[in-house]
Amino acid sequence: MQIDFKSRELTVKLVYYGPALSGKTTNLQAIHSLVSPETTGRLMTLETRDDRTLFFDLLPLTFDGGAGIQVRFKLFTVPGQVIHNATRRLVLQGADGTAFIADSQISETRSNQQAFLNMQENLRENGIDPATHPIVIQFNKRDLPGVRTDEELERMAKKGREPVFKAVATRGTGVIETFLGLTERTWRQLEERHQLHEKFGLDPEVFLRGVRSRLGIPEAAA
Amino acid sequence: MNDAARTSGIDLAFGDVSGLDEVVDREALRDVCRSFFDLFGISIRVFSGNGALLADAHEELAIHTYLRTLPGGRRALSESVDAVIRTTPDQPVQLEEISGAVYDVVPLVYQGRRVGRFVLGPYLPAEMKEVPRALLKVDPALDREKVREALASMPRVKRATAERVVAHLRGILDLLVFSSHRAHLTSEMHVVSVRESYRELAEKTARLQTAYDRLRELDKLKSNFLATVSHELRTPLTSIIGYSEMLEAGIAGPLGDEQLDFVQTIHGKGEQLLALITSLLDLSKLEQGVLRIEPQLLDARELLVDLAKTFEPAARKKQVEIRVEAPPNLPRIAADPVRIKQILSNLAENAIKFTPPGGHVVFAANETDLDDDDGGGFGAVLLAAPRRAVAFLVRDTGIGMPREELPKIFDAFYQIDGSSTREHGGTGLGLSIVKRLVDAHDGTIKVDSEPGKGTVFTVTIPEAESG
Ligand SMILES: Nc1nc2c(ncn2[C@@H]2O[C@H](COP(=O)(O)OP(=O)(O)OP(=O)(O)O)[C@@H](O)[C@H]2O)c(=O)[nH]1
Ligand SMILES: Nc1ncnc2c1ncn2[C@@H]1O[C@H](COP(=O)(O)OP(=O)(O)OP(=O)(O)O)[C@@H](O)[C@H]1O
Ligand SMILES: [Mg+2]
Ligand SMILES: [Mg+2]
Repeated sequence: MQIDFKSRELTVKLVYYGPALSGKTTNLQAIHSLVSPETTGRLMTLETRDDRTLFFDLLPLTFDGGAGIQVRFKLFTVPGQVIHNATRRLVLQGADGTAFIADSQISETRSNQQAFLNMQENLRENGIDPATHPIVIQFNKRDLPGVRTDEELERMAKKGREPVFKAVATRGTGVIETFLGLTERTWRQLEERHQLHEKFGLDPEVFLRGVRSRLGIPEAAA
Repeated sequence: MNDAARTSGIDLAFGDVSGLDEVVDREALRDVCRSFFDLFGISIRVFSGNGALLADAHEELAIHTYLRTLPGGRRALSESVDAVIRTTPDQPVQLEEISGAVYDVVPLVYQGRRVGRFVLGPYLPAEMKEVPRALLKVDPALDREKVREALASMPRVKRATAERVVAHLRGILDLLVFSSHRAHLTSEMHVVSVRESYRELAEKTARLQTAYDRLRELDKLKSNFLATVSHELRTPLTSIIGYSEMLEAGIAGPLGDEQLDFVQTIHGKGEQLLALITSLLDLSKLEQGVLRIEPQLLDARELLVDLAKTFEPAARKKQVEIRVEAPPNLPRIAADPVRIKQILSNLAENAIKFTPPGGHVVFAANETDLDDDDGGGFGAVLLAAPRRAVAFLVRDTGIGMPREELPKIFDAFYQIDGSSTREHGGTGLGLSIVKRLVDAHDGTIKVDSEPGKGTVFTVTIPEAESG
């Protein structure tokens, strides 16, 4: 997180991580098209080859934090292909929260696991403790055949400590929920570490409610 | 945050721009402003966030030229120019100068951050009808006729038109900033990625080299040690066993009953010692990671049938019945055939050893999921995702074990105390080797037992990967 006292501006970095082709870029595209232009700016796609991310995508979102503070979110995607590890590590630096986008197809189980372990390692390399880092997990591509059933997924989700979201990013389903889930987790940790409420008058409940209603989801999804 | 990300004014970690001047190409900006000026005839100035003038397309207005000839006019003009320069608004604002002409001051917001502003004007609002009173009073020497002439030559712009021009210019500048920003980030990332990849590679190579050097040295030491120990211990032992066997067979002449009994004891203990040395060597190899697992595709059912054949004589001698329960078409596992047999033999040996006559031992296999059920784990929803696996079960109706002993039996040399165990001999190394071998196969081992009822050991080995 970056705080600029002079311009009363707070910048939060969220990273979309995951294996190649799991739909990270599609998540950002969906958010971009679902959120009103006053909240989001242009989606920047840095460099691609055959639609595969080479560096990163970047989507800015801006919210009024109240108390005269601008809260800027910067959403990044990493390149999922295994060979781009150096770039992934670079993009992950300074992340305040991470959404792990998994491919729901059972055949992708192994590459999901590998990407997750790779994220853990890269977090550490960037001096971030994976155990306390805000993480949410999205199972994307729920529309495809050969995926685990909802019941199976829920049973597995109970074992983990990260909130789990189901999505079809190409249709925009579950994408905002994932973003909100990540924002909530991240914000609670930022509050804990930086006392934003006390120091800046940024009430977490008020802020999160504001973000939810701006994104058209007035109440927290259960 | 660190050096790598801070090679220029752009913050790579956040991909941020703090001022227009960092990203925008001044030449391009000037061209844009000039063409706007040519099109609409209104002056345009663009300032960076830090106040620097980046582009300026204007023409001196006749009214300004005239006002500058008068002391009062000069003063009033410089005041309004100051006011315009000092204004850094959050929202577009309009400022009026002494001549009645206006300036639109418009902030440039990029990715939620004010990166600069532009000033459109001065121009006369088309709606203005009369010469402002203040202008007429600005200097006693003012010539009204000259003022009227000068004002008449000035651009007049309707409010709606001005708003359109502002919106249009804003859009174009935003696009300009966006594409320059993207180009900057891209080239930065090229440089930084290459540097990072290089660093990573260099580090890896260095690490590998040291590890390799150390391993080679260790390996030499270790294999020397192991070879020496096994040779130095085994050679004399083999002689002891060999000679006692010959004595037993009567090759050196017939033995009395007591003599035979002694020789048989020497032979038996010799074999025991040899087995112990072999186990110890295995264990030390496993601990040092020297032991190589050489996996092959194996069929679980075949393994169990073989196992039953091997242990049939020992079981019959003890009056223990062996059964095999394994469905056909189990998935194949990838395991080292020698080691998997070692695992199963150790379990089978225990089962028969700790089962009294009249009991039975079952070797079973079935298909299962390999998932550890300790909840709340990091990324467990992904990492604990079930993998198909084969479970081997060795079940007996033997003496069983108390619950509190179960976690300890995999420790080297651990044997459950009590007269019943002692009478069975052994060294307590069997299960510790089994555990390490199972780990080396990426598998799991579990035990369930009830004193007096029996014991089940379950070894789960992941299915061979298809792709
Ligand atoms: N059926 C289906 N396809 C999807 C879904 N989400 C993404 N895809 C498709 O999956 C492909 C890859 O999506 P991307 O968003 O480019 O994947 P990525 O994670 O950014 O991939 P990299 O940039 O290589 O790391 C595209 O063809 C998407 O249209 C989904 O929910 N359902
Ligand atoms: N099937 C079983 N039933 C009852 N107790 C068992 C069984 N298997 C193992 N144990 C207990 O666990 C202990 C450790 O077993 P382990 O195989 O490691 O050693 P051991 O059989 O005593 O000696 P070794 O295997 O070295 O000959 C045994 O001594 C015994 O107390
Ligand atoms: Mg991508
Ligand atoms: Mg044993």
